[in-house]
Amino acid sequence: MKRGKIGYFFIAPATLHLAIFAIFPMFFSIYLSFFKWNLMTSVRSFNGLANYVYAFQDPLFWNAMWNSTKYALLSVPLGMILGLLVAILVNQKLRGITIFRTLFYIPAISSGVAISILWIYIYMPETGLINSVLGMLHINNKTDFLKNENLAMYALVFMSMWVGLGPKMVLFLAGLIGIPASLYEAAELDGASKFRSFWNVTLPMLVPTTFFVLVTSTIGAMQVFTPVYIMTQGGPNEKTDVVGYHIYVEAWSKFLIGIASAKSFLLLVVIVLVSIAQFKILKNQMEGYSAS
Amino acid sequence: MRSYAVVAISLTCLLAGCQRATEKGPVVLHLANWGGANDDIEFGRKVDALYHQFETENPGIKLEIESVPDQYVQKMILGFVANAAPDVLSLDAASAAVFINNGVLQDLEPFVQKDQQFQKSDFWPNVLGIDSRKDRLYAIPGDFTPLVCYYNKACFDRAHVPYPTGHWTYQQFLETAKRLTLRDASGKITQYGFNFTNWMPGWIVWLWNNGGDVLTQDGDHADGAINSPANIQTIAFLRDMVQKEKVSPDLSQTAATGVDPFGNGEAAMEISGHWMIPSYKSAPKLKLDQIGVTELPTNLTKPKTVMYEVGFAIPKNAPHPEESWKLVKYLTSHLYQQSYQQTGIAVCGRKDVATERAKDAREQKFLDIVPTARPPWGASVVGYDFVEQEGKKMMERVLGGADPKASLDEMAHRIDSYFKVR
Repeated sequence: MKRGKIGYFFIAPATLHLAIFAIFPMFFSIYLSFFKWNLMTSVRSFNGLANYVYAFQDPLFWNAMWNSTKYALLSVPLGMILGLLVAILVNQKLRGITIFRTLFYIPAISSGVAISILWIYIYMPETGLINSVLGMLHINNKTDFLKNENLAMYALVFMSMWVGLGPKMVLFLAGLIGIPASLYEAAELDGASKFRSFWNVTLPMLVPTTFFVLVTSTIGAMQVFTPVYIMTQGGPNEKTDVVGYHIYVEAWSKFLIGIASAKSFLLLVVIVLVSIAQFKILKNQMEGYSAS
Repeated sequence: MRSYAVVAISLTCLLAGCQRATEKGPVVLHLANWGGANDDIEFGRKVDALYHQFETENPGIKLEIESVPDQYVQKMILGFVANAAPDVLSLDAASAAVFINNGVLQDLEPFVQKDQQFQKSDFWPNVLGIDSRKDRLYAIPGDFTPLVCYYNKACFDRAHVPYPTGHWTYQQFLETAKRLTLRDASGKITQYGFNFTNWMPGWIVWLWNNGGDVLTQDGDHADGAINSPANIQTIAFLRDMVQKEKVSPDLSQTAATGVDPFGNGEAAMEISGHWMIPSYKSAPKLKLDQIGVTELPTNLTKPKTVMYEVGFAIPKNAPHPEESWKLVKYLTSHLYQQSYQQTGIAVCGRKDVATERAKDAREQKFLDIVPTARPPWGASVVGYDFVEQEGKKMMERVLGGADPKASLDEMAHRIDSYFKVR
């Protein structure tokens, strides 16, 4: 009992941090979603459900929701496939493989703003890295990837695959290392080819890892903000106006704190619903498979 | 038991860290501005010395400078919300309404009235007017600039075009820009007549000079103002200058090179503020004495321009108002401004310093233009930042091929939807 109590002290700092910087702001934001407030006035007038009605009727909010969904639908599966492939590559027993693991992880520990600025230079017309290479190959090098309505979203998705590679790779790598060698030996004895053992042993054993990566990546993708803020500001023509950035503009350009809070809550509801759906769909797959 | 001791010591250290110093010491004044790391180290040292001089002249007051190079308005607002606003803040005319209209700033008129050393007549009346509301004054101007038309004499000479003398219509401006746009034998443009940038605080003057505006006179609506026939015509004119007449570089092309075409000697004219002077001075392909200033083109009888200003304000709940006033007075004094304005960043809000500095025709031209300048909408309309963002998007749509009328209607609709719930 005494040992149990001391445990509370050790979890206290993390719990406090979470309570002050995550749980309290979340509930305060829900509270604010029922008020009209521009931050500067000391009085917050009760607004009932008007902020939610406004959010539901705002076509730009739904455009932003759709953009976030599109971003998640593209970046999550593509990022996961790339993460798994790279995890398999860096799981080989080669000399210096840890250097590769570190290199792939570097974008994840770099500043999001710095990375976004770097990619602005990569995507620039004529002088950007991609266009310079295209120019050397005598291919049209005037494409402004971030200003082109048809390409800007894909440009962000492509960048996200590079940035998100490290964490996904590490998780898949942990999953791969955790698969007992005896399963591969048994498959080999049964005469399974490399591809067959990957399909029938590796993939099923990675289901719990895949599930974890899927849920966390989807949540992350629905909340994407930094690259949009730095690189496109939601443009061109609102084609990259994702919901995180849309809410930011509501709060910090328009000072509509109540409406921004209502929209944040709606985003939370969407994320929770998507996560529940993912749980339900993958629950059956999960049963019976575990690396432990 | 040992574990409890460790926890107790850790908590004590944590709490000790949070404890606020209560000892009595000098009054510390926090001065907020949006300056970042200064490129000009020499100038930075000079300003530091000026701050130090204030501390020497006022024993018992210490200055702490809060530099916020990005998200300044947002940071200041949060400061007010958290009751941690600076003692003196730099107030940008373009966003002054957020602070003035929400009543978080001190009325400085009582300080002015009882201070014999301070004279309002030292300042330009229409500059003082930016941060005034009836008989209340919320900031003392530091410096300001009207938007003007810069021209590079070397580019004019190259194209054998006489220098502009002002009093020109949009059509005359376009004709001049066409003559200034030069091509080589292969047809490639080697010099542009004008450099257009999609920055609404800069191109709003084109709307004004064709009889249009962004908002209705009361500042409450956009419909009927921003989508007026005059504005549709202006936006189409600007689009055509870039895309049809090609007298201005394509915006993505400018973005690609990352170089200001005017600053690089590749464009003959540009509309901007006095803040460009330091960069023109250091631009290797420009000679400052080759840069002229003239009035904006207009289709009206007299040209109109906008005036961007920086003032110094004191929050309503400032803990040391008297000391803060001393600082505001110092920052707007002849002594301080005379040194500070040596960068050439702006026109001084004080008439004496501005006149002393207007030794050449270019500087004098700025002063001539001052009476025709009006404050930006952001000085009186809360949330105007959003309007400017929408303006940029609208122009992007038009330059991307969208119809000017439809784009302006959409802009009006978005602004009015926002104003309704503001």
